[in-house]
Amino acid sequence: MLEDELSVSTRERDGVAIIDLVGDVTTFAEEKINSAYAQVTSQGARYILMNFRQNDYINSAGIAILIGIVTEVNRNNQKLAVSGLSQHFQKIFRMVGLAQYAEIYQDEDEAVLALSAA
Amino acid sequence: MIIAMNTATLSMELSFPSELGYEKVARDAVAAFARRLGFDRERIEDLKTALGEACINAIEHGNGHVPGLHVAVSCICEGERLTIEVHDKGLNRYQGLGSGAAIDMKLQGLAPLRGMGLMMIAQLVDEAGFTESHDGGNHFRLSLYRRV
Repeated sequence: MLEDELSVSTRERDGVAIIDLVGDVTTFAEEKINSAYAQVTSQGARYILMNFRQNDYINSAGIAILIGIVTEVNRNNQKLAVSGLSQHFQKIFRMVGLAQYAEIYQDEDEAVLALSAA
Repeated sequence: MIIAMNTATLSMELSFPSELGYEKVARDAVAAFARRLGFDRERIEDLKTALGEACINAIEHGNGHVPGLHVAVSCICEGERLTIEVHDKGLNRYQGLGSGAAIDMKLQGLAPLRGMGLMMIAQLVDEAGFTESHDGGNHFRLSLYRRV
């Protein structure tokens, strides 16, 4: 009844596969996020940006899903970055150690510029 | 969902079914309460995340996702301290569960991906921990101090 509404979509920009995440990232997000990752990976993505927007709520279950993505990214020799997080969730990502494995950028433009130059 | 507020003693109580998603309602209600008490935006964000994790633990572990079992949240402000208690029915004891394995362990498959809630709470609030329970449930308390 109270399942989160999360919209996940993918697109490509300057050689970077962008996964847009609009809404809450919780346990209910698992299938959508994993499907989006599988889709861009099947299309040969090397650089992946998870672009967060309007995310008032990212909880530990959501973070666990993202750690699972990092595991796959490492296994597939891809590079992962994140953008669009609020200051609070940037702090959370650093707190749990995700920032060691996914560079944090303020916005999509900054992230794409850095990833496409890598 | 039941919410009762007492503005004379600066306290509030709420109760909700053990279904994921209700923790968002609790977060929003307690955030509104903290905002009225003068807590700043950053502290309220910390509180929302910490309380959400405490409520999820109560829903998932303490009440085993049984919707008929309610999670009770009580808030009281005394001086500069806001204390929030989250009570469940204690179907499972989860004190010390997932004490925050490092992400390296998780990535190597040596620890479950989940189980970060208590670690996050401990880092986001000023005081947090389980308190003695006389009814068999899990009682978790977290406190924040207002910055003056």
